[in-house]
Order: sequence, then C-alpha cells, then structure tokens
Amino acid sequence: MEKNQIRAYLRALKQQLWLRGMTDSESLAEVESHLLEAAEAGLREGLSAQEAERQALERFGSAQVIARSFEKERKDPMQKILLALAVLMGLFIAYVDSRPTWDDTGITAGTMLLSSGLLTLLGYRRPWLIALAIGLWTPLYETYLSGNFRLPGVILLPLFILLITFVGAYAGWAVRLGIRKTFNLA
Amino acid sequence: MVGEALKGHLDLLLLAVLADGPAHGYAVIESLRTRSDGVFHLPEGTIYPALHRLENQGLLRSQWSEDGARRKRIYQVTPKGQKALAAHQNEWLKFSKAINATVGL
Repeated sequence: MEKNQIRAYLRALKQQLWLRGMTDSESLAEVESHLLEAAEAGLREGLSAQEAERQALERFGSAQVIARSFEKERKDPMQKILLALAVLMGLFIAYVDSRPTWDDTGITAGTMLLSSGLLTLLGYRRPWLIALAIGLWTPLYETYLSGNFRLPGVILLPLFILLITFVGAYAGWAVRLGIRKTFNLA
Repeated sequence: MVGEALKGHLDLLLLAVLADGPAHGYAVIESLRTRSDGVFHLPEGTIYPALHRLENQGLLRSQWSEDGARRKRIYQVTPKGQKALAAHQNEWLKFSKAINATVGL
C-alpha cells in the first residue's frame, strides 16, 4: 500500500460515491476526520504510522462497502419516481416519433435533450440511467421492433439519440451540482 | 454474524449512545465497543450513513465543531429522537422477553 493510505482511501471512496451519483464533501470530511482520529489512536498504542493507518482503514470497511451503505441509506422515493418518469417520457417520445404523420426530428431531439436534462436537474443521481431510460425506446422501435436493420442507420441512430440524451442528462446533473456548490447545499 | 444481527438494531443502539450526550461518530463507535465489551463489530464506516439517515428523519441533529486542528461533526438526539428511542426500547424489551421465554432462559 502507498504511504498515505488514508488519502488513497478517500480518493477511492469519493470515486465510489461519484459512481453512485453522490457528491457529498461533508461526508468525506467526516470520514477523513474519523480515519485520522483512529490512526492517531493506533499511534498512541505504539503502532507504526503505516500499521495504524492500515488498521484504521480495515476497521472502517472498504470504500465499496461504505459507498454502498451510503447509497442504501439515502434511497428516497423521488429517485424511483424520476426514473419512472424517464421511462414514460422515453416511451411517449418513441410512440409520437413512430406515428406516420410525425416528421419533426428537431422537436423529437429537443424533447429528448430537455427531458433528460430536466430529470437530472430535479435530482436524479445517475445521469447515465436517465439517458438510457429516455433514449433507448426510440431506436429500439425504429430498428429492432420495426425490423429495419439497414446499415448504417441501425448503428448510427441509437448512437445519435443516446448522444443527445447523455448530453442532456449530464448537463442537467452538472447544473444541479453547480447550484448546490454555489449555495453550499449539503 | 454479530454484524448482521446488529444491522436491525442499529437505530436503537445509536440513539441510546447519543441519548447520554452529544458525540461525534468516532466517539459513538468507541462507546458501542466499550458498552458491548467489544462484542459489537460493524465496519465502522457504516454508522455514518445511518447517522445521516437518522438526522434526515429528524431524530438527530448535527453541527460541526473545531477540536484542535480537526473539525468534527457532533450529533445529538432531538426530542423526536428521544420519543423514537423510548419506542425502540419498548419494542426491544418485548422482543427479548419473547426470545428468552422461547429458548428457555
């Protein structure tokens, strides 16, 4: 293990939390404070600095376990509601887009972009999941369900749509993050 | 096994420890370890999400304080938390009596 094991652990925990859509600097500060205090207790008991840090980290739990624990405790019904809305929105867009009378790709793309952004702006923590929930249905209908497997559309259409929903979802998520940081929200 | 059994009663344990006075997470864990004669073993980090949940439920409140060079987040039980603790204690009393009677203790 590297010399400053606690610092490496905090980096790993931050990454694990980020992967779960959580960016909570206060929780990380609290974890750091705990680990430093535990390592100091080890030093007082006569352990070497490296061994004190190792034991403090061992007792604390792996970054993955702790991040999962944070995620589990933070589950709130709003996450499920927003994901359900994303699926419904994706299905609605796919339905409208599949109508023979509908021929406005710009509006379809704009609706996808805006709805992806809005749902992450409202607080959904996993932008990638919102992007998939909104963006998968239209290419699924346009290609696989309608039997239209002609190249390069079968590859390019899903990529184009998912690019739009990913951009929208991550833009909304970034704006929300910026707002929270600006106003110092937990 | 102890860790798994503890999970269902973590709220009661955390509220009980903090009912004795405000404390930060590390002190809560130390108190749990001392009170249980070292029997209670959980990954220490798992108590923080639980503390945050209890705070979100209004059972605890927290504030940061400076202790030397280090900042610590101090938790304390709210009046709502006191009521929840009393309810948890009653439930535990009934549960433990039933278990004891069943296994013949």
